[in-house]
Amino acid sequence: MTTRDTRPGSTGGADVPGPLYGGPDDDYTPEQLAAMNRLELDRLGARYDGVEILHVDPGPEPGSVLEKRAIRQVGTVFGLAGLFAFLFVVVYVGSGWFLPDWQWTVTEGGWSAFFTPLLGLLMGLSLLCVGFGLVLFTKKLLPHETAVQDKHDGSHFDRVTAGATLVGGYHNSGLGRRKLITRSLALMGGGVGLMLIMPLGGLIKNPNRGNPLGTTSWAEGVRLLRNDGTPIRPGDQEPGSLETVFPAVPGGNLQADAATMLIRLRPEQVANLEPRAGQADFAYGEYVAYSKICTHAGCPVSLYEQETSKILCPCHQSQFDVTQGAKPVFGPATRALPQLPIEVDDEGYFVARSDYIEAVGPTYWNRERI
Amino acid sequence: MARTATAPGAPTTKLGKAALEVDDRMLLSPWLRRTMNKVYPDHWSFLLGEIALYSFLILLLSGTYLTFFFDASMREVVYEGSYAPLRGVEMSAAYNSALNLSFDVRGGLFMRQLHHWAALLFVASIVVHLLRIFFTGAFRRPRETNWLIGVVMLVLALLMGVTGYTLPDDLLSGTGLRIISAILLSVPVIGTWAHFAVFNGDFVGTEIIGRFYILHVLLIPAILLALIALHLIILVKQKHTQFPGAGRTEHNVVGNRLFPTFAAKATGLIFVVFGVCAALGGIVQINPIWLWGPYNPAQVSAGSQPDWYIGFLDGSTRIFPPWDINLPGDYNIPALFWPTVVIAGLMFTVLALYPFIERKLTGDTAAHHLLQRPRDVPVRTSLGAMALTFYLWLMVAGGNDLIADKFDISLNAMTWVGRIGVIVLPPIAYVVTYRICLGLQQHDREVLEHGIETGVIRRLPSGEFIEVHQPLGPVDEHGHGQLAYGGAPVPKRMNHVGGARRAIRGFFTPIEEPSQVELEQRAEGRGLATGEPDRELTSSGRPADGGRPSEGGRPQEPRD
Amino acid sequence: MSTTNPQSEAALHEAGSADGAPARRARARRRSKHRRRLANVAGLMTGLILTGALYSVFAPAQAADDTTESAAEAAGRELYERSCITCHGENLEGVPNRGPSLIGVGEAAVYFQVHTGRMPLARQEADAPDKPAVFSDEEIDQLMAYVQANGGGPTLPSGDLRDGDLAEGGELFRLNCASCHNFVGEGGALSSGKAAPSLNDSNDLEIYTAMLSGPENMPVFGDNQLTSEEKRSIINYVQTINSQADPGGAGIGRAGPVAEGLVIWVVGIGALLFGIFWMGSKA
Repeated sequence: MTTRDTRPGSTGGADVPGPLYGGPDDDYTPEQLAAMNRLELDRLGARYDGVEILHVDPGPEPGSVLEKRAIRQVGTVFGLAGLFAFLFVVVYVGSGWFLPDWQWTVTEGGWSAFFTPLLGLLMGLSLLCVGFGLVLFTKKLLPHETAVQDKHDGSHFDRVTAGATLVGGYHNSGLGRRKLITRSLALMGGGVGLMLIMPLGGLIKNPNRGNPLGTTSWAEGVRLLRNDGTPIRPGDQEPGSLETVFPAVPGGNLQADAATMLIRLRPEQVANLEPRAGQADFAYGEYVAYSKICTHAGCPVSLYEQETSKILCPCHQSQFDVTQGAKPVFGPATRALPQLPIEVDDEGYFVARSDYIEAVGPTYWNRERI
Repeated sequence: MARTATAPGAPTTKLGKAALEVDDRMLLSPWLRRTMNKVYPDHWSFLLGEIALYSFLILLLSGTYLTFFFDASMREVVYEGSYAPLRGVEMSAAYNSALNLSFDVRGGLFMRQLHHWAALLFVASIVVHLLRIFFTGAFRRPRETNWLIGVVMLVLALLMGVTGYTLPDDLLSGTGLRIISAILLSVPVIGTWAHFAVFNGDFVGTEIIGRFYILHVLLIPAILLALIALHLIILVKQKHTQFPGAGRTEHNVVGNRLFPTFAAKATGLIFVVFGVCAALGGIVQINPIWLWGPYNPAQVSAGSQPDWYIGFLDGSTRIFPPWDINLPGDYNIPALFWPTVVIAGLMFTVLALYPFIERKLTGDTAAHHLLQRPRDVPVRTSLGAMALTFYLWLMVAGGNDLIADKFDISLNAMTWVGRIGVIVLPPIAYVVTYRICLGLQQHDREVLEHGIETGVIRRLPSGEFIEVHQPLGPVDEHGHGQLAYGGAPVPKRMNHVGGARRAIRGFFTPIEEPSQVELEQRAEGRGLATGEPDRELTSSGRPADGGRPSEGGRPQEPRD
Repeated sequence: MSTTNPQSEAALHEAGSADGAPARRARARRRSKHRRRLANVAGLMTGLILTGALYSVFAPAQAADDTTESAAEAAGRELYERSCITCHGENLEGVPNRGPSLIGVGEAAVYFQVHTGRMPLARQEADAPDKPAVFSDEEIDQLMAYVQANGGGPTLPSGDLRDGDLAEGGELFRLNCASCHNFVGEGGALSSGKAAPSLNDSNDLEIYTAMLSGPENMPVFGDNQLTSEEKRSIINYVQTINSQADPGGAGIGRAGPVAEGLVIWVVGIGALLFGIFWMGSKA
């Protein structure tokens, strides 16, 4: 062999394919296969895959009335699909150009209200026609074939040989008797596994530190503000009214646990008031303030029925009685709404006397403990 | 053996030559032929899983479009877009981008709605598919793994839905997010830690939308894709199940080959599913976030519900009684824990383990590739009906305030109806379903024994009137049929056994005279009437013998 | 009036000291007693008549105004006494377990209740449903005048009731109203058979007066809590949303995910089931 050898195969690679691999290529020469027509070849391949064609209902006779009708139908459906698709493009591109503008204005109707429905209708019809046409084609123009395929159970040969290779590999590794390696492997596995998931520890935060669940921004002297930031005097509400108030801290009206309901009770309600033990002085005259966050699942409680003195939560229908310390009287809630102790400061505006004395919102495992 | 350009079987067309080049490099043809020859049974109920698959595909495509416009940030911004009633309102960047997509992107609202409708369809079709698998016993050995994968995919689909509809950060989904927060908190011992890990602190924080986004567009879809691939590979490997019938055994599959019939029909179904989603996406409004407004923890709307597939959890939460468990040491297990975490956990665990439970209870450890008709397994069918009643009743309870408002029923009464119904109705459903299954089984056997009621009355010489029955097979000396029930549907009408021909043809312009129909068919050269003059009965006509029209048996779907 | 008269006692004494037949003395006594009584009564009557005449001449004229009503109030009184008095009492004081007092509710409350047909109440039930109004607009004006005059309270607003900021109205609506009336004013259920009604068919004034008067279980939103401008913003928002079309197609009642779930099962799965029945084989 010299460096100038140019015989095929001498520098690697081949211009001609190598011998065709075994299996059916051994049983059937190319000449034999060339002698078979297409149908026979198809059946041969199928049989090789374990498939037997039981029966074929041929398609309609070429040139027959049936075939012509079917072709017409399929063609029409495909044509419609294309038409609708082009109309979609016209509507999409043309709106705002040669068609009215698609941009929504708060009007009672007009093109902008039809833009999206038209898009949907046209795309929907177009795609439905494609699908419809395809299935129609299959049913009316393709031959109906009934085929059977054999199922193979597991191969005993494959199992036994694969098993032997696996077990042999394990045996060769000697791990069964090389205890030090197996034990250090176990340590390694544990350690590396732990190491890989350790960065997820950055997600872990201690919920008990600083008790954020059990405290809000309300504190002594913090004013009660409306949503627009204005403070409230005792004359600013009628009996039988409810105002949502927020603490006078930066971002107070966006905090998730600070929203409070300031309710001015009617004289009949004041007469029947049964406040919670130790909280009789949390009210200020006819004004009571309760947390708006439901103690069941945290929705804002909101629905104040001023005649029946109930506050209904729209999420799961818990009902709290505002004359009985907002304790739950119906529904899945178990705890009364926390009450905010309020008074009036020397400028005449409502302030809180302290934070809520219990955690606001839904219950959790150690709510009573911190 | 070397091949030359003139070797027999060598391609001569351009396409053929190109194909040869590809196959020379990729060695595709063994796989290709094997795949094309695979036989799939074509019962209509086997197409339900495909609907789920194709709606997932639609979700992937439309979802990718949405990611080009969505901003998963909770930064506060002021809206300056074209929807006037919200202009100047403070909202999160996520909500702002969703509004932008709805009103300031051409066709954006259509794509948003298409995506959401496809999501609802995705879960609905998974549920229908699951019901089919359950009631026909397709989860039995060797398909337990696929069942497990399916249940896991159902749970992942629910998670996809929840993370997805929370992304726009509107008032409705924000209310749902608050409830998710409460559910996390309600878990004993680790609840507050779990909450702080997920939300990066107290509710609502600044991270949750971004985290849901990554879950929704990357993590869960990746897992779903892998599971779908596995699900389909196992299906192909084990071959699809089939109903018992003519020529069908535990060791074969009867149906259509993949190419061209099955592939054509499947492609057609892709387009039909896509078409339905597109039609809904434009014609029916869904999740009008501009009407809900941006999420604010102090605001809520009456009649707030989650998407339908979470409705059962909303219902269980509404009707569960106020039962806190107070433990010594001032610990407590909140009432919310049971109707959310525990009930959902139990339901999905029982669902996942059902194949193993049933195997234990029935002692049936054999492999099954033939399906069972629901009536033939009354206990399973009744258990399924019971579970379905439980689930549906919880879903109805989830909408109890809407029902109370629209139908003028007391809200408190609706809660009690939910509580009582959920205990009382499932056992009733079990008993009723069981009796129905037994009745259907009895009827099958009766027809096998006594033949089909033809509706023809005959008067005997003795004066007695009898109805003529058509036996389904050979009869013994008492006139009773000797065919055993084989698990396949028993023909119950004369036209099921080829005893009647179509008297009406055509849908929009019906031809209603039988003789006219016959003439038409003869003229076309197709249909029952063509071969009639020269047809002779060569076999018993039983379906088991082939049942072809030319053999006098049961006609298959007529072409026209 | 003292019965002892020194004159009569003196006369008695005189008569007694002369030749005295006792009967003559008694008759004389009786005659003088009668005359004295008559004189007393006559004096009294004169005094009274004089006082009355003098008073009616010199008293200020306002007494005459306090006791007369305007024509509207009189008509309203008649309507009230025909239709409302049974439950609300003769003097608007209310009747226990039947109707609340109307003192202080004002014409705003009357407009709301009567114009929406809630009053007159057909029967006592969980809450008063709205129904076609029984009284005409003129009669409602008369009732309003009567109740306002005799009880006082909030009056009707004037001017354009939609003259307010649309976006601010939306914010206020979602904070104060959506929890009962739903995010688009479709209405919602309250406890035990009550309901917050739909706002779809309400006119501007009905919404305004409802906020102002807080009918039945609805809280009261006085002008000190929600100013007149804020109320107008809310009305602007509600009516705009109500008349606004749906850009995404059929609104399906704007009822939320429940309606959407129904649609996907009935229309979506339904249509697809038809499709696969056609595509696949049966049995």
